[in-house]
Amino acid sequence: MSFLRKNILTLIPVMAALLPLPSHSETREVKIYAFGAKSGVVRIFGLNSEAAMKAAAEQINKAGGVTLGDGSKGKLVLEYLDDRCTAEEGINALRRIASSADGFVAVGPTCSNVAEPVFGILQKKVGDASDTGLQFPVYTDVAAKGGLASMSQWAFRNVPSEANMYKSLFDWIKTNHPEIKTIWGGVEKDFAHSNATFNVMKDFATKAGFEVKGQSEWLLADTTFSNQVREMRRGEADLVMISAHPFTTCGALKEMQRQGVKPKMLVGLTSSSSVETLQGCAAQAEGIIIPTSFAPVTDDARKAAQAMQAVGASMDLHNAAAWENIFTLKDLIEKAKIMAKPETIKEDRLKMRDALASMKESYGLLGKVGRTEDREAVKPFLFVQAKKGEWTVAYKPN
Amino acid sequence: MAWIDFLDLVQSIMDGVMFGATYSLIGIGFTLIFGVMHKINLSYAAASVGAAYLSLLIVSVAPTPIVYLIAALCGGVLGAVIYWVCFKFLPLNQSLATLMSTVGMLLVLEESIVHATAGMPQNYPAAFADVVFNVGPFVLRGDLLFVFLLGCAVMVALKYMLEKTKLGLATRAVAQQPIAAQICGMSVDKTNASTFIIAGFLGGTAGAMTGAAIGVLSPLITLPLTVKGLVVTVIGGLGSIPGAILAGLIVGGAESLFQFVRGVSERDIYVMLMLFVFLVFRPNGLFSVPGGRD
Repeated sequence: MSFLRKNILTLIPVMAALLPLPSHSETREVKIYAFGAKSGVVRIFGLNSEAAMKAAAEQINKAGGVTLGDGSKGKLVLEYLDDRCTAEEGINALRRIASSADGFVAVGPTCSNVAEPVFGILQKKVGDASDTGLQFPVYTDVAAKGGLASMSQWAFRNVPSEANMYKSLFDWIKTNHPEIKTIWGGVEKDFAHSNATFNVMKDFATKAGFEVKGQSEWLLADTTFSNQVREMRRGEADLVMISAHPFTTCGALKEMQRQGVKPKMLVGLTSSSSVETLQGCAAQAEGIIIPTSFAPVTDDARKAAQAMQAVGASMDLHNAAAWENIFTLKDLIEKAKIMAKPETIKEDRLKMRDALASMKESYGLLGKVGRTEDREAVKPFLFVQAKKGEWTVAYKPN
Repeated sequence: MAWIDFLDLVQSIMDGVMFGATYSLIGIGFTLIFGVMHKINLSYAAASVGAAYLSLLIVSVAPTPIVYLIAALCGGVLGAVIYWVCFKFLPLNQSLATLMSTVGMLLVLEESIVHATAGMPQNYPAAFADVVFNVGPFVLRGDLLFVFLLGCAVMVALKYMLEKTKLGLATRAVAQQPIAAQICGMSVDKTNASTFIIAGFLGGTAGAMTGAAIGVLSPLITLPLTVKGLVVTVIGGLGSIPGAILAGLIVGGAESLFQFVRGVSERDIYVMLMLFVFLVFRPNGLFSVPGGRD
């Protein structure tokens, strides 16, 4: 007995070694990597994307997981890397993912200024031996600046086409609000997405027959908007369109209220159709119309929004795309017979790229998402309007 | 130039000068610490914004003046923490040591705000937001006028404190001759800590006033406020409180003027050029503090 007492610590590993080994589980872990801003001033994008992807993966796992190429079942596991919305961190994150033994696809990034350089390090044309760029499929959920996926055949996106959205919006305004004839613009000049989208807005507003009388410009971190709003006031336009993110959108709207600038209609940037704008300036944003690719108007969308609420987040057009991406990837893993084993990982990456490239349409919360030749999405969208501190559906064009 | 353009130009300068009152408040804090310790506290503006954020904890249950008061008190607490972490145990004769520790603190504070709020802009209550004074063809914002008057009141209070109180006497003594002050029984450590608390109190007020003037708080404003605060401190004269007030108004006005004339993308270039002009032709600023004993 005393021998046993003295040597119990030694015996534990011996006994453990003698126990029969558990049979190798049939359910394997299938790693989905993602990257985006989880720190810095746009941290909310990364947090929301990660929450949406985790919630989607959990639903898939609860429903039995994903069937792998060898017939075994896989459980989706998400690993989200922080890029701080900076190009160098984004490139670093993707290189880390590409050097892993279990990564065969990455979802991200959240910022256009990261997506552009990240896509730049990917191989341009598949199979081009002279191009030593990274051969790794990236399926973007949030970064919205138009046309970025055309940079590489390894880049795919599930972001809405802002060109389609604003074309449709200004055509709708032209038809339904004949009293609106002139427009004044407000743009956050130093943010890639805001600046690029402003040109899109201006272009389609002009094509729809509106007179764009001028524009006021400010910077992302600006704290005073009096000059810009005074220009706006002098413009006396019927409609003011603001292409800026929530902080400066709110700053400009508050200054408009101070200076008594009350246009007949307000139009905002897609990214501002979020809870951030309402948290910052619900009263001043009252009535603003924004095109978006998400609103809880279908059964799937409502369920997804509820799943997000359950984890303390809210769903918007950006994280809705993240949610959709996980369901699309699940389908593609099964279709492309991905093995998700370290020895097949290189092959899995190519299979996944080919599967993404061959998609004619994909899963969407508002309905099927079409795909274009240059690997972009054609997403259903609608127009939402801020009313009493909430986003309500103003019109659903398709 | 058409008459209406001229009116707009004058109005722009007036708006800028009024908003410059927030820069003045930040500049006072920078200059107060420099005046006493001859050190730059680069985390000052971030702490000021942080204090305003902390005051949001009671925004739903307290009236606006109490929110501002809490911001000031939180600023004082943060000031003490910054002194304790970034200055107290560091070799003060190594100027880079405290500079780097306060840069670190700036980043810590900024990222803490980002983590606490996920970077989302927060509505901040304004005082006298609906008050507007019409002076001929011009408009004066009541909230900015309030900030301006508050800045003036702070200047008077600080001047009184520095010249008429024991703490003020100790502060000036430590600033001029720390060893002699110590021999006379004054605690350098306590005096420095008090200066940080007072500067923090001002910073909290400045953060609250900045939030009130914009109407929204965001971590995005910490870096621009830090840069503006430093520019104001240099132009006003390191260590000069009236200089900080005047320089804040000048920088605010100039910024608005440059924006009106050259647009938003060139505005900051001219503000920085203005700083260089001061550094070359008047390196001690508008109101440089004379060296030696007073």
